[in-house]
Amino acid sequence: MNRHDTDILIIGAGGAGLFAALHAQQTNPDLKVTIAVKGLLGKCGCTRMVQGGYNVALGHGDSVERHFMDTIEGGKWLPDQDMAWKLCETAVTRIRELENEVGCFFDRNPDGSLHQKAFAGQTFDRTVHKGDLTGIEIINRLMEQVLSRPVVRLEEHRAIALIPAKGGEGLAGVLFIDMRTGDFRFVRAKSVLMASGGGPTMYRYHTPSGDKTMDGLAMALRAGLPLRDMEMVQFHPTGLLGGEGTRMTGTVLEEGLRGAGGQLLDGNGRRFMFDYDERGERATRDIVSRAIYDEMRKGNTSPNGGVYISMSHLGPDHVREKFKGMVRRCDDCGFDLAGGRVEVVPTAHYFMGGIVCDADTRTEIPGLYVAGEDAGGAHGSNRLGGNGVANSTVYGGVAGDVMGVEAVGTLRDADEAVLSAEIERARLPFTLPKGDIHGLRKQLMEVMWRDVGVMRTAEGLARGRAALAELRDELMRTGLPSQNTVFNLTWHDWLNLRSLIEVSEVITEAALARENSRGAHFREDFPDAGDLESSTFTVARQDGSGLRVTNDPVIFSIVKPGETVLKDVEAAE
Amino acid sequence: MASTETIDVEIWQGDANGGAYRAYAVPAQRSQTILDVVTWVQQNAEPDLTYRFACRVGMCGSCAMTVNGKPRWTCRTHVSKAGDGPLRIAPLRNLPVIKDLVCDMTEFFDKWVGAGGVFKPSTTRDDPIPAIDPSTVERAAASEAIECINCAICYSACDAVAQNDGYFGPAALNRSWSLINDIRDAGRTERLSAAAGTGGCFNCHSQQGCASHCPNLLNPTLSIAGLKRAAVKAKVRGEI
Repeated sequence: MNRHDTDILIIGAGGAGLFAALHAQQTNPDLKVTIAVKGLLGKCGCTRMVQGGYNVALGHGDSVERHFMDTIEGGKWLPDQDMAWKLCETAVTRIRELENEVGCFFDRNPDGSLHQKAFAGQTFDRTVHKGDLTGIEIINRLMEQVLSRPVVRLEEHRAIALIPAKGGEGLAGVLFIDMRTGDFRFVRAKSVLMASGGGPTMYRYHTPSGDKTMDGLAMALRAGLPLRDMEMVQFHPTGLLGGEGTRMTGTVLEEGLRGAGGQLLDGNGRRFMFDYDERGERATRDIVSRAIYDEMRKGNTSPNGGVYISMSHLGPDHVREKFKGMVRRCDDCGFDLAGGRVEVVPTAHYFMGGIVCDADTRTEIPGLYVAGEDAGGAHGSNRLGGNGVANSTVYGGVAGDVMGVEAVGTLRDADEAVLSAEIERARLPFTLPKGDIHGLRKQLMEVMWRDVGVMRTAEGLARGRAALAELRDELMRTGLPSQNTVFNLTWHDWLNLRSLIEVSEVITEAALARENSRGAHFREDFPDAGDLESSTFTVARQDGSGLRVTNDPVIFSIVKPGETVLKDVEAAE
Repeated sequence: MASTETIDVEIWQGDANGGAYRAYAVPAQRSQTILDVVTWVQQNAEPDLTYRFACRVGMCGSCAMTVNGKPRWTCRTHVSKAGDGPLRIAPLRNLPVIKDLVCDMTEFFDKWVGAGGVFKPSTTRDDPIPAIDPSTVERAAASEAIECINCAICYSACDAVAQNDGYFGPAALNRSWSLINDIRDAGRTERLSAAAGTGGCFNCHSQQGCASHCPNLLNPTLSIAGLKRAAVKAKVRGEI
C-alpha cells in the first residue's frame, strides 16, 4: 500500500471539488491541497453535463429573498433554510467570480448585460447560461485554473473508505484504489472534503455520467454519518430510450423541447398529457414523469417500452435550428428528432438527499466536510433547475474557505485495524466464485425502477426491500472472472454495485418512513402533502443494530409556511 | 427480440510495451454506438478490457478512440457511421497508452496550460460583470472557438504533433486564440509569447487534420492562423 500526506484532501473534481481547491489555496497558500477523482479531473462527473444554467438573483426586480422563497417553495418547505439562504446569497458573488476570475463567459443580451432565462418553478427569469452547454463552460474554465496551480492530482483514484483516527477522535484520512495500477493508497489529511457527487444510477433509466455510483454516501453511511432526505430522487421526464443495450438510454432530452411545444404521444400515437394536467406537456417535471410512468404501466407503450416525443409539427427545419445540439445528438445515435418521433422515458436525474451538514459544510465527524450533491439539505424535496450547479460551486467555495482556516494542527494516525479491514473488504470479490455481475446490476435497476421509483406504495417498497436484501446476499456470492487488479473495470463494476445496493436500501427505508407525498417523493397510498407547519425530514443512520430512519422536525429558521420574506411590494407582483 | 446478426470487431489490447488486436463477434442492435460495442465486449467476452467513458452524450470527451483509423468520440458514433467492413478499435494516436483503449492525457493538459490556455483575470469577484456586446468581432472570434470538450481528437489527428512531441497541438492553441480575443483577459503578452515560441503556432502546417475530425465542428486550424497573424504583429511591434 502507498501512503501520501496532505493538508487538504478533496474527493471529487466537479464544480464543488475544483472550487474548494481554489478557495483553500486563496485562503491559505501554504497548505498542500490534493484532489483525488474517480475519472479525469474536470472530465468525469456531472457539473460538465449541466445544460440549463445557474440561478442567481442579480437585481432588476429580482432579489436574493425571491430566489430563496422559490427554493423553499420548490423544495416543499423541507429545505434547511440556512443552507438555502446561503446558497441564494452567495450565488451572487460566485457568478461574478466565475466570470471575472475563473474566466467563464455566459450569454449576453444585445446591450452586453448577462442574459438570464426563464426556468420552471421560478418567479423571475434568473438563470444565467451559456447556450444549453453551461456546464462545459464552467468546468473547462475551473479545470484550467486548477491545472495551472500547485495542486496534487490523483486521477483515476477511487475512494473506498473514510478511515478514522487511532483512538477514534476524528478522521485520519481516506483509502483509495489507484485504478490504473490496482494498488491501494492511503491519504492522510487534516481536512477532507467529500465532493464525489451523488447520481442515482441505481434506476433502470438514469441521466448521470457512468462513473457515478453513490460511493460517497455509501462511505459516509459506513462511517456512521447521518443521511437526510434519502427518499428524494428527482426524475426528469424525457430521457432518451434506445433499448437496453445502449449507454445512450436514459440521457436527457432537454426540458425546452416540451416548453417549445413538443408533444408526448403514447405507443398508439395518442397525445395523453391533457388527461393528467391542463398545462399538458408544459406541466412540471414531476407531474409529466408520473403521467408517462402511468401510461407505461397501462401498457400504452412504444416498442422499447416508453412513449414518444414528437416535434415535427413545429416544422423540422425550425426544430433543427432551434435545438441544434439535441437534433445532432439524436442524429449521431440514429434518431430523427426534427422530423420523426423519438422514444422517451422518465429518467433518474438528481439526488436531493445527502450527508447532514451545517451551512459551513461541516459534518458530524471533525475534519470531514461535504459539498455538492453529496450534501443534503439545500434543496429539500425537490431541486429547482439551475440550483444544482449554483449549489456545488457555492458550497465548494465555502468548504475551501473553511478548510483553509481549519486544516491546522497535526496529521492523525489511522486506525490500522480499520484500514486493513477496508482493504480486505475491497478485495473480497477476488475471493468469490465468478458470477454475473452485470446481470445483478440489471436486476438492481429493475427493482428500483419498479418498486422504489416514480410512484411508490408501502407494498411495493416492502417488495423492494426484500429484493434488495436478496441482491445484497447474491453479490456476496458473486466474484470476478480474473485475478487481474490493473485498471480492471469489472472489479470496479462490482464495487459500484455494492455502493449502489447499500444506498438503494437507504432510499427504500426513507421512502417507507415518509407517509406523505412531497416534491420528488410520491406515495400512491399517501398522495397528500401533509401539514406544512409540522413538516419533517427523514434522517437515516447505520449503527450496530442496522439502519434506523427517524422523522425530524423541519426548523423554519427564516420563514414559516404561509409567510414570506418578500417585501410587500415584491410579494404583490 | 434478440438479433442474430453480429458485428465483427477487432479491439487492440496491450500497454506501453505493446499489444495486439483481438477479434469478437458482437450482437448487432438498431441503436448501437462504438462505445456500446466496446461495453458489450467488456461485459460479455473480455472482462479485463479497459476503456474510459463518463457522460455518454458527447460532453466530457473521455471516450475518444481510434475507430477504423480515425479518431472519434465513441459515445456519439453510431456503428453505421464508422464505415463498412469490420470495426477496428484502438487507443488514440499521439498519446501514451496506459492500458488497452485508455491513454494518459497528462501531456495534453500540460500543453493546454503551457500554451497559455488559462484565463488571467483583470478584475475580481467584487467588481461588476462587464457589459460585453456579443456581436463584436473579438467576441464572435472568442465564441467561435470556445465549445471545445478537450477530447484530444484533434491532438490525435494532428500530423504536426506526430512529428514533434514538443508541439502544443491544436486544442491548446485553439483555446489560446479564444483568450486572445477575450477582452477581459490580462495575459495577452505571455500568451502570444508562448504561441510564438518553440511549441507554438508556427509548427502548424495547416493540414486540417484537427478541423476535419473535431466532433464539435470547431476549426482549430483557423484559430492557429489567427494566432500566427497576431504573433507576427506583436513581434513587429516589439510587444513580445
